[in-house]
Formats: sequence, C-alpha cells, structure tokens
Amino acid sequence: MNLRRRLLWALGLGWGWGATPALFAQHVSQEELLRPYVGINSAQKGRVKLEIARLADNGFNVPLKVSVQSPMTAQDHVRRLLLLSNRNPRPLMAGFEFGPGSDQVLISTRVRLGGSQTVYALAQTSDGIWWLDTAEVEVTESACLDQT
Amino acid sequence: MTSTTQLKNVSNGVLTRRQFVVSSAMASGGLALGFHFPAAAQSNELSTLGGSEINAWVVVRPDDSCVIRIARAEMGQGTHTGLAQLVAEELECDWSKVSLQTFTPGQNLARKRVWRNMSTGGSRGIRESQEYVRQGGAAARIMLLQAASAEWKVPVGELKVEKGIVSHAASGKTTSYGKLAAQAALLPAPDPKSFSLKNPKDWKLLGKSPNRLDTAPKVNGTIKYGIDTALPGMQYAAIKACPVFGGKLVSFDATKISKRRGIKAVVRVDDESVAVVADSFWRAKSALEVLPIKWDFGANAKESSASIAKRLKEGLTSTENVFADIDIGNVGEAIQGATKKIEAVYGTPFVSHACMEPMNCTARVTADRAEVWVSTQNAEAALAAVAAVTGLHIEKCEAYNPPLGGGFGRRGGTQDYVRQAALIAKQFLGTPIKLIWTREEDMSHDFFRPIGQCRLVAGLNNQGDLVGLHLRVSGQSINAFVAPHNIVDGKDRRQLQGYWKDAGEAQLGYTVPNLRVEYAMRNTHVPVGPWRGVNTNQNAIYLECFMDEVARAAGKDPLAFRRSLITNHPKHLGVLDAAADKSGWNSPLPAGRFRGIAQFMGYGSYTAAVAEVSIKGNDIRVHRLVLATNCGHAVNPVQIASQIEGSVAYGMDSLQAESSIKDGRIVEKNFDTYPIARMYQMPKIESVIAPTYDFWGGVGEPTICVVAPAILNAIAAARGGKPVRMLPLKNEGLRLV
Repeated sequence: MNLRRRLLWALGLGWGWGATPALFAQHVSQEELLRPYVGINSAQKGRVKLEIARLADNGFNVPLKVSVQSPMTAQDHVRRLLLLSNRNPRPLMAGFEFGPGSDQVLISTRVRLGGSQTVYALAQTSDGIWWLDTAEVEVTESACLDQT
Repeated sequence: MTSTTQLKNVSNGVLTRRQFVVSSAMASGGLALGFHFPAAAQSNELSTLGGSEINAWVVVRPDDSCVIRIARAEMGQGTHTGLAQLVAEELECDWSKVSLQTFTPGQNLARKRVWRNMSTGGSRGIRESQEYVRQGGAAARIMLLQAASAEWKVPVGELKVEKGIVSHAASGKTTSYGKLAAQAALLPAPDPKSFSLKNPKDWKLLGKSPNRLDTAPKVNGTIKYGIDTALPGMQYAAIKACPVFGGKLVSFDATKISKRRGIKAVVRVDDESVAVVADSFWRAKSALEVLPIKWDFGANAKESSASIAKRLKEGLTSTENVFADIDIGNVGEAIQGATKKIEAVYGTPFVSHACMEPMNCTARVTADRAEVWVSTQNAEAALAAVAAVTGLHIEKCEAYNPPLGGGFGRRGGTQDYVRQAALIAKQFLGTPIKLIWTREEDMSHDFFRPIGQCRLVAGLNNQGDLVGLHLRVSGQSINAFVAPHNIVDGKDRRQLQGYWKDAGEAQLGYTVPNLRVEYAMRNTHVPVGPWRGVNTNQNAIYLECFMDEVARAAGKDPLAFRRSLITNHPKHLGVLDAAADKSGWNSPLPAGRFRGIAQFMGYGSYTAAVAEVSIKGNDIRVHRLVLATNCGHAVNPVQIASQIEGSVAYGMDSLQAESSIKDGRIVEKNFDTYPIARMYQMPKIESVIAPTYDFWGGVGEPTICVVAPAILNAIAAARGGKPVRMLPLKNEGLRLV
C-alpha cells in the first residue's frame, strides 16, 4: 500500500487549531486562512505537489492527490500534512501525521468543496518549515442558481 | 398567436421617456451567417479559420469578415447573437460580415479559462459577461487601430473606424480590418483599465435587433442538436433507472433478450440503472421494455403526493426548522389588531422541464481519451463529469456542445445523462455509444421544479390599508439537493427568491409596515433542480394572487392597491404602470372578459403582466397578455420579445401540468398526461420592453413568473372573486382552451 496514514483526525480537532472555525460564506485570503492553522501567514512553495482537476461538476466528492518530497529519515521527514479550503465553512478539510517510519508521503482522497475556490495543501517538515502547494478548482455552477 | 412589441423608456427619473416600435429596429437586420462549431477537435488548439486571432474573442480574416467567439450555450434564447452584438459594438466591425465560433471546455481549460464561465443559466449570459466581452471587442479594435497607426506613422487619435474600415482624414488613407489583422495580432493586448467602453448613448448595434445568426440552419434543417450526433461504428443505448427515486437495481435477466436482433449487451450502469446496447435505438429500447428487472424500491415507495402534501402542510405552521428572512415591525400584533384578517394557503406542484429534445449523450472512451457529444447548459460540467467517471486526466477528456433542443435548467444543474453515457461507453472501449432517454425516462427522472405551499395572512385597517403581512413558504429546497454550500447557517434564502429585501436581483417590491417572510424547508425524496425562473415562479403565484385577495377584501382596485404599496420601488412601479397602461387597465372590457395583474422581480429584471380571460363553464380562454419587462439595457429588443413570448408558453405550462407521485414514483410520463401549452391556447401577446439603461438585468427567465399569477387573478375575477389556490388548474376542474 502506497498510502500511509498515521492519523486522520476529526475535522477541526487535533491540536486545537481552528476548533471554532468561522462560517466563511466567501473566499478568505491566504493570510486569514493559514494563520489559525499553521501560525504564520505564508508558507514556502515547493516539495508539496497537489493534484486536483481544474473543474469539478459538483463539489460533493472531489478526488485529489498530494505527495511531498522527503527522504523521510529521522533527521529530515514530513511531520504533518493539511488540506485547507478557502471557502468551506470549515476550512480544515483533512489533516495527516507522519513520522520517519513512513516510507513516503502520498495521500489520495476525496474532499467536499463548497463552491469554486483555492485548495491548499500544506506540509510541515521536521525542521519546522511549512511547504505549500495550491490549486484553483472551478466547481461548475448549476444553471439558474445564483450565489445565494 | 400574434404579438406586438413596444420598446419604451419608463419614466423613473433616470432617463427621459422615449418610445418606439421595435419593428423599425427590425429593419436594420444584418445577414445571417454561419456558425463554426467544433464537431470534434483533434487538439486543444482552437482554429483561427484562416484568419488572425486578435485576441481570445476576435478573429479577423483577410476578407474583412470577423469571427466572434462565444462561450455560452445556445438553447433558443438568442444569447449567441446578443453576445456577438456586444463584442461587435466595441469592435466597430461590419455586422454583415460577422460569424460565430464556439469552442470546447477543453480548449477553454487549455488556455487557462480565458473565456471564463461557460455555464448558461440564471439569465446570466449577457448580464454576467457583458463587461469582459465588450472589453474583448474594444481591445481588438484598439490593436487594429494601433496596427494602422504604425503602418501610416500617424497618431491613433487621428484615426477613425466604421464598419471595419479605418481611415485617416488628413492623409486620405483608408484600409480595412482584414488588411491590418496580421500585424494587429502581434501587438500586446491593452490593459482593460487603460480604456473605457462606449457610452450607451453612442451605441450603434446594441439596442437594435439584427437578425439572429442561427436562424438559417434552424429553418433549413441543417442544425445539429446533440441528439443528431452520428459517429462511425456508433451503437445505441436505452436506459432505465429505478422508477422509485432512491431505489436500487438488484438484478436483470439478460438471457431473455440477448437473442433479439441487434442486441450487443445489457449493462449495469450504476447502482440504480440498467442499459441495453444495440445497433439501433429502437432495438435497444424495445428490448429494454421486456427485460426482466428486479428493483429494490426501498422505503421511498411509500411516498405519494398525499404524504408529501402532509409534510408541506406541517411546515406552514410549525415552529421547527423555519427561519425568517424578513421581520419588520410586529406582524402578530398588527394582524391581531387589524379590522380585517385575510388568510390563504397556496400550493404549486412538482413540474417537469419537458425539453423537446429528451436527455441524450454520445460518448467514446478509449484507454487514454474520453469524449462526449452532448447538448448541455454547462459544457465544463460535462467535461468534469466525464473526467470523474473515467478517471482520466481532464486534459485527456473533451466535451462537444451542440445547440440544445431545450434546456430550461434541466441541462445545467446536473450532468446525470453525461455520467451514464460515459459509464456505458467505458464498457465498450473505442466504440461510440449514443445514449438516448425515452420521453418516459425523461419525465420520470427529471430534476423537478420543487413542490411548495405558502400560507399568507394579511391584516387591513379600517381604511383598507395593508398593515401586516405574514408569509410562510413551506417546501422543498433546490440548494439542499444540488448545492448545499449555498445554504448558510441552515438558511436557504434562495427559496424566497423575489421576496428579498436587498436590491438588485430579486427584490420584494412592496413596503408593508409589519412584514414577516419565512421559509420552512421540507424536503422530499424527489430530485429537484432549477426550472426556468426557478423560485420566482411559485413565489410570484403565492404573493401576487394573494395581493388580489387582499385588495378585494379591502374593496380596492388591484392595480391601485399595488401602486399604494410599491411607491418606494420606482422600477417595480415602472413596469407595473407600463403593463397597466398598455393593457388599457382603466378602460372597459367587452362583456364576459376579465383582467388580472401581477408584478415581480427576478434575475435582476423587473416584470409585470396583465391578462385578459373569459370563462365558459370550466373552460378558460386567455385572450390577451400584456407583459412589461425592464432589463436595464435591452441588447436585442426582438430577441427579448421572443423570450417574453416563450415565457408565456412556459408560464401556461405550469398552470396545467403536474408531476405527481404515487408509490414513490412519477405518474405523468408523457404528453398524454402532462399537458404543455398548445398553439390553440396561446393568447395575443403584447410585449413592452421598458429599459431604464442603468443596469444589466436578465431576460431568459424574469418574465415567466408574472404569467401564471396574472392569468390566475383574471380567472378569480371571472369567478366572482373565487381564487384558484392549488395548482394545477385541473384541481378546480378548470382547463385552458
């Protein structure tokens, strides 16, 4: 099995991050989104690769894949991986924990998206640095429905 | 049916009044030229058709003809022509040399969605994209002029352009777009912030009604709808889903039909449907009819129209799962203290879209490519659905979108038929599979206009003034079914469309000192979706028919009563007056004729209608309908009038038709039991287009919602004040003749 999940914890729980997320009806900025979850306003591009289709005909279960380049040694490994939404009422869609025992970081899952938005995949390496990849997803609009 | 159209400016203080009859505008019609439709693209590169692509929207060919690219789907609403007019106005090209080119969602994606949203619905085509498509036309014009400026070494400001001919007065030089195109295409695109769009006062093409660009192929029969798709080696599929919504397919006995002529296979499509694939549709369909199928109907088989009605009725007075979107003053006290209290419960049934072209999709799937040919309101959604079903990367998938034989929301909300076709084709790698739904399948598995009831209570003081209004809608939510993310904090405001406080989209026109507007979500097992006009249809019936009941109780004229409540909303008042004036509201009618009036707002536009009916026994004849629409800017008045006329037909469908439920499934499966408006029922239609030129409103949907209440109010007047509260008309033994 190439998918190793040490822990998938309940949305919004875990380290007490975002335990009471705001109900975001609209897109939030990267800064607003990241601060409650990673404690900083930005992360470095690189190492993380997020694969998700540019278009989804609905947001009910959108497939995605995330991989992180890392030797996964005791000295240099991925600790955490987060999937964040800048539009869902609960921005933290999923979180995963890894350790040096994991031979690779590769996640394949489905998420629910509350409309067109940017999906964020964030990985923290053992040196404490957060790495980031993002993807724009267009959840195609239903005919005759507006944004209300 | 006869119709006349009048274009007038409503005096709401924005612009001066002007009137002219549209027939004069019709005289300026241009040539109807062809479409360039990608039947099958070999790559994601969009052809430039032998010309130079100035920008994403405009291609100019050496013979001066201009190709305008269109992102939206054409389903009869005329958006292709209207959008082309928007580009051509700014481009300053020769309209008689304009043709259209559509493209695929794969091509849009390959160019990072340069053409933006391809979704066609919500009467959004023009109002949502008018700015960026006009900017596309203007940017192309600027680049063409810059090319002339560089060639002649004169400032751009000294150049003039008209109908694609560029001239320089001082030197007497002239040239044409066709000669400049190749050089212009090499220039950098100007920043949209660096130029401004034309003042509407200077428009030459917008506001006029050139002929539609797609009329000829429709008249001569060369147009290809999705159902006309034919590919070499194509096989046909007929499908049957569990007749009870939510039920499952258990098993089928393929041996019973496998020896029939032309049968290729019987396939399980998904958890709820089975398909027969054959070398002709007739053979597939006939075999499917006799295929032994075992279904697990599940608990929903107990549902019926009666059980659903009971649930809605509970919602009318319940304190559970209800929210107030408007709560002004104290409705309870106001009605309690009123001199007169009026109360009514209205109901509207599930209705089907009944597109003339039933759902269909042709799919071809190979190991590394998947393509569909499908009439859809949202080609990007179809593409996404194919990618999801096949598991192929979206760049390896494509969706070709021919014109639609009717959409009305059915082909936009859900790409269920696309998914099915791809699921079947996946089992026949390399063979194109054309899936066609029968009419019965189409009407049994629609995403219906949601069912609803509404309880309204009003209080009048001793002068007959409305002092309190309590309105509660109880019914099924579309968002809960197709877009739950649009429900915020459990509040689905969409179901109250047309009763909103906020201006701009679907605002309530009346001002009532004590007002409470509530929604109780009561969902059913029946799939629902947007149906042309969506919630404005039901909500206008509830409120506008009740307003007549209240006016009657107050002893007031329905127009005067409405006018007294609508003064804070001049645009609502404007169309109400426009319809009333044109109808001759205050003039006497022939004996036996009665009038009804209604006004409402939806999709950013204001509408009102006056109906004239007579009644003989149970037969209702609608003689005349006057409809006024203010859509802000009227891009193509004749097309707007056509949309209004189509709205009348659709509005009259909804008076007569019902998709009822028995044993968890739909009862009315074809036009024998599901009546739609017939030619003989159509009244004389008079359209008053009343633009105020200060906003961009929709056109495809807004006028439908006033058709039914205007007719119902006229029927009530003809019956001595007895309203029809529970649709369809047959519930009261009435029919349209």
